[in-house]
Amino acid sequence: MNMEYKVEAHRIMSISLGKIYNSRVQRGGIKLHKNLLVSLVLRSARQVYLSDYYGGVCVRSPHAGGVEWGEGDQMDSDGSRSTPDEHGGESALVSDDSVRIPEVSVNGPAAAVEGQDIEDLAPGSDYNCQQSPQEDVGSVKTAVSAKRPDASPSPSLSPGAADAEGENQEGSGSAETGGPGSGSEHCVSRSENSQQGSAEVTATCCTRKRGAERSASAGSPVKRPKATAVPALPPVGGEGEGPEDMDTGNVSSLITIFGSSFSGLLSKEGAQPATDSEDSDSGKICCEQMLPNLNPWSTAIVAF
Amino acid sequence: QAETTPLLPPADIISTVEFNQTGELLATGDKGGRVVIFQREPECNNEPYCQGEYNVYSTFQSHEPEFDYLKSLEIEEKINKIRWLPQQNAAHFLLSTNDKTIKLWKVSERDKRPEGYNLKDEEGRLKDVSTVTSLQVPVLKPMDLMVEVSPRRVFANAHTYHVNSISVNSDCETYMSADDLRINLWHLAITDRSFNIVDIKPANMEELTEVITAAEFHPHHCHLFVYSSSKGTLRLCDMRAAALCDKHAKLFEEPEDPSNRSFFSEIISSISDVKFSHSGRYLLTRDYLTVKVWDLNMENKPMETYQVHDYLRSKLCSLYENDCIFDKFECAWNGSDSVIMTGAYNNFFRMFDRNTKRDVTLEASRESSKPRAVLKPRRVCAGGKRRKDDISVDSLDFTKKILHTAWHPAENIIAIAATNNLYIFQDKVNSEMH
Repeated sequence: MNMEYKVEAHRIMSISLGKIYNSRVQRGGIKLHKNLLVSLVLRSARQVYLSDYYGGVCVRSPHAGGVEWGEGDQMDSDGSRSTPDEHGGESALVSDDSVRIPEVSVNGPAAAVEGQDIEDLAPGSDYNCQQSPQEDVGSVKTAVSAKRPDASPSPSLSPGAADAEGENQEGSGSAETGGPGSGSEHCVSRSENSQQGSAEVTATCCTRKRGAERSASAGSPVKRPKATAVPALPPVGGEGEGPEDMDTGNVSSLITIFGSSFSGLLSKEGAQPATDSEDSDSGKICCEQMLPNLNPWSTAIVAF
Repeated sequence: QAETTPLLPPADIISTVEFNQTGELLATGDKGGRVVIFQREPECNNEPYCQGEYNVYSTFQSHEPEFDYLKSLEIEEKINKIRWLPQQNAAHFLLSTNDKTIKLWKVSERDKRPEGYNLKDEEGRLKDVSTVTSLQVPVLKPMDLMVEVSPRRVFANAHTYHVNSISVNSDCETYMSADDLRINLWHLAITDRSFNIVDIKPANMEELTEVITAAEFHPHHCHLFVYSSSKGTLRLCDMRAAALCDKHAKLFEEPEDPSNRSFFSEIISSISDVKFSHSGRYLLTRDYLTVKVWDLNMENKPMETYQVHDYLRSKLCSLYENDCIFDKFECAWNGSDSVIMTGAYNNFFRMFDRNTKRDVTLEASRESSKPRAVLKPRRVCAGGKRRKDDISVDSLDFTKKILHTAWHPAENIIAIAATNNLYIFQDKVNSEMH
């Protein structure tokens, strides 16, 4: 019984992702209404899929879980507040009406800085859409910066103000890449893991994101050449883990990618000055680079 | 994911249908940016049952495809909506809109032309002044009727998102245009600026939860308008209250039935069309499976709910896969607000009599549309006993959808757009419809 719902939810998620992907090439521009509805379905299906995941049906490799929990311990020692319980798990996603998919750290300990959370998450997603292939990481990463009390607060971002926000993003980003930086990414992976099995994906992505930030910080925050979309950094836990870990959380990672992609769509649709043709290109690059690392069925989506 | 191959040139697909206020003219817009206006021929007084037929009056290209280079976006030329202005002189005016630009067109007749110019000859060439020996007054002579259409105003660059509705105010001076997140108020004579009266764009687009799906002015009160959302809510706004009508005067919303919850609950609750009744007392809304009549004085639930095709409720997943669940059906009132009509699949359309609570399903097809043919009611069989001529749900053709319908403002004449065909049905005295 659980398996049926899971399979159905999985199927609906893949269909939804295909629709979002297709919408980028449709004539007349991205239809905001339709994409919003598709993202709502995607979110509902993901909720069912992941809640079912913790309902006891686990077909994924177990070792991935071990990695996160180990890293999670570091986070505790780092002094950050978050624990898995406080995040409220999937309910965080359920209760929030936002279409943003990876809103993992908004509730719980981040509640104290929730206003800042929302603002911070926006720069992350938008920022990522403009530069790096790991769009999902951006939102998660900035959630981290929200949690850290010493992170420099980013002003609320509307995509049009990406210039200024990009700078601030860099600022908080570089603060993160400092000493406590390693703790931040573990913090992220821990929070992710508390809600889904795809934390390993995020952990790897997080590292790459930081790398992308480093390379991007050298240049202007607005003009991020496509070259920076392919950072090459040693991931936490070893590169070998990456693809295997991707396997286990493939759908969730796809969702985080497309979830962030969707916010990228929105920023593009918003026609703000900061968005330009690079958006669609880098978004596409993001998908094309991430997806081949995942298992074959995801490549089918790329083929759409 | 199955893709339906279009068998017809997509540019011919009708995308909007609208009668003018007298019903004498019927305008259609299509995906190719063209507008075709039909005019009703005067009724012949000889035969009692001879009612005027609609013939093509004028055809013109309203919108062309455009390309927004800044955003690398193609702007479709498809006509999303046409609205007629109330007639104030011999000419007719209509507003037509695509995703981004609204245009005001003047439709006028010319059936006389001046002849006998002094300085020009019959072909318009200038005469040699020395050959003019006497002066004459030019006279108007009859000519073959010519319908001229000219663009009078272009209202552009006011919408970031896709325009889904336009509505002319009862003051006949202003109109509004609505896109996914904003509604703008225009003066018909002023094109270089508009006033934003509704803005639901969140500061952070990631928090977007609903979009505007349709908007309309009240037929009599020039300060009232309504807009519907993708969450199934209606907001009645009063422009006297504030310049920015973000705070609604009334919010119409029906609580969701938890027993019907599914992955697709949100999609099917999205309102695709909203229409004020002619009286101005009621609102008609269409969502994916139902049409609802709301009383302006009752906000917590609709007055009446009619099932259009509830047999699709168990098929929502397939309809999601083939994108049909995103189809935006329109709805219409008859002139007396006693019957409502909306389209469905398989070229079926449905009518609901609010007084008798009877409903009928009819089909717009070539077979049923021979002149003087009486439409035969159809039935969709969702299982169980199947009668002769019933259509089973599984054999419905979902590529044949009737999204756009219009009802003559006074008489029982309806215009049904079935893909690229326009059907006009008139009620005869002995017909089943009334």
